[in-house]
Amino acid sequence: MDIIVCVKRVPDTSEADLAIDKGGKDIQKGGLDYDINDWDRFAIEEAVLIKEKTGGKVTVVTVGDEDAEEMLREGLARGADEAFLLWDESFEGSDGYATAHILAAFLKQRSYDLVLTGTLADDDCGGQFGGMLAAMLGVPVATLVHKIEVKNGSITVRRELEAGLSERLDIDLPAVVSVATGINEPRFVSIRAVRKVASIEIPTVDRGELGLDEADVGSAGAKVEIEKVFLPPEGEGAEIIAGSPADAAARLAEILKEKGGIA
Amino acid sequence: MKTIYVLAEHRQQHLRDTTWDALAAGRDLAQKTGAELACLLLGSGVDAMADQLAKECPKVVVVDDPRLANFNSEPFVKTLTGLLAGQDSYVLVIGNSNSIIDLAPGLSVALDAALATDCIGFEVDGGKVKALRQIYSYKVNALVSFKGASRIVATLRSGFFSFAPSGAAPGAIEKVASPLGDEPLRKRFLSYVEAEKGDVDIASADIIVAIGRGIGDEEDLSMFESLADAMGGVVACSRPIVDKGLLPKYRQVGTSGVEVKPKVYLALGISGAFQHLGGIKGNPLIVAVNKDPRAPIFRAAQYGIVANLADVVPALEEKIKELKG
Repeated sequence: MDIIVCVKRVPDTSEADLAIDKGGKDIQKGGLDYDINDWDRFAIEEAVLIKEKTGGKVTVVTVGDEDAEEMLREGLARGADEAFLLWDESFEGSDGYATAHILAAFLKQRSYDLVLTGTLADDDCGGQFGGMLAAMLGVPVATLVHKIEVKNGSITVRRELEAGLSERLDIDLPAVVSVATGINEPRFVSIRAVRKVASIEIPTVDRGELGLDEADVGSAGAKVEIEKVFLPPEGEGAEIIAGSPADAAARLAEILKEKGGIA
Repeated sequence: MKTIYVLAEHRQQHLRDTTWDALAAGRDLAQKTGAELACLLLGSGVDAMADQLAKECPKVVVVDDPRLANFNSEPFVKTLTGLLAGQDSYVLVIGNSNSIIDLAPGLSVALDAALATDCIGFEVDGGKVKALRQIYSYKVNALVSFKGASRIVATLRSGFFSFAPSGAAPGAIEKVASPLGDEPLRKRFLSYVEAEKGDVDIASADIIVAIGRGIGDEEDLSMFESLADAMGGVVACSRPIVDKGLLPKYRQVGTSGVEVKPKVYLALGISGAFQHLGGIKGNPLIVAVNKDPRAPIFRAAQYGIVANLADVVPALEEKIKELKG
């Protein structure tokens, strides 16, 4: 089975101290670490696991500039066979819709049985990419998938609903599947594996090669626009217990005792 | 905007709470834009749900088709595209859920509409609708506009729109023939699968010590188990801990995990994403320890400590043991 995995490089904001930049439309990204979006790492692993069972080829692709190449190379080290970087200066400022448009143009030029991606990205928290891409390609989609069984010409997936409930669906191929974190355990990447793929060339594909107009991509091709960003006001919520960690812990123990937190 | 549409979500013949969230937001938007409000109810054998909605909404458009019994995105997108074909100047609001994540993005493309997911509020500025949502690990608010789009789809974060029954005169129910053709579906619902039950039922625990991503690379959970023992509680967790294989799924608190209703919830290294908070019911005392002062958990908690877990947890356990005598 030939599988194409769409991945994204994102800043790690989960525990970082964030500040708004001067323009007021984004955060200051200077001091942040970047890595592959956590959900997409599971998508690569799932593709490689399926390939190991059924044979075929795994391709990793992203929309991003040369800084994203290292992430693609990690995908190769994880077991992908080839990688492509889709980049053109005009892609700058693409929203989820424009990004899906760029990847749809890439996919329409290739043959595939399955497209895998992560359901959510930690930067825009949109959860929209897989569904948009599938609609643009005219193929079925399932998101939040935590189990994939490959059949002949179709797959059976389990997707997460609420309160522990899942649903089982049969989906004809080709299809787009957005995976949930936890669908597998992404393998450890050894230095040896990274060295093995160091010489594989990662081609950059530009707008012209994808047959896209400037109006389709970047902020021109976007459907939504960020007007301003801001940090939610502080001071709402918890009373922060001051003092050294040990003192604060002692005070917290007293509060817990008072409020029935010690049985 | 001419019309504000609200898509009703249901499961196993019951309207879900997301429907009322969406109706609350829809009412507000209709009032602010001077648009008409209409509910869209797609399902199979939905008369009772239609009556329920008509008590709260001036117009309910119903499509009854057995292929719409479950929230399978394929027939839903086709039906909604058929219903809204040729229409302009509308906002379609839908309460966000794990079914809607499957539906809304593809629907927005099929309708050639602009999409904003998981909105926590709206602004109407000179007749134009703008949406407030959260980005960067849900720590930053963003006001987004739709570049003058005349068709907008917006999904809503649960808990941010509160519905008050209006008691208004019954609305009109308009039954529309299903626009679905005979072509076979490429995505087919098979069955629901219930979660596995484990050795501990965190749903019935009064005291919960929950751990999250902030425990770092620590794989030894004995520090947390020992604290939970001292408190007389159980250890639960957020999603990243299950993803790493450190605890089983039946210990995960959250919308896709287990809903809990303890008296006391101690959140250790949990950022407090809404998917996690959505699993905490019954207004417990929430206490959080996290090294990030901007972690959303501090907005849900009553008390917090900003520090490294390793500096707090052993001291806390020791003090608790001392207080117990």
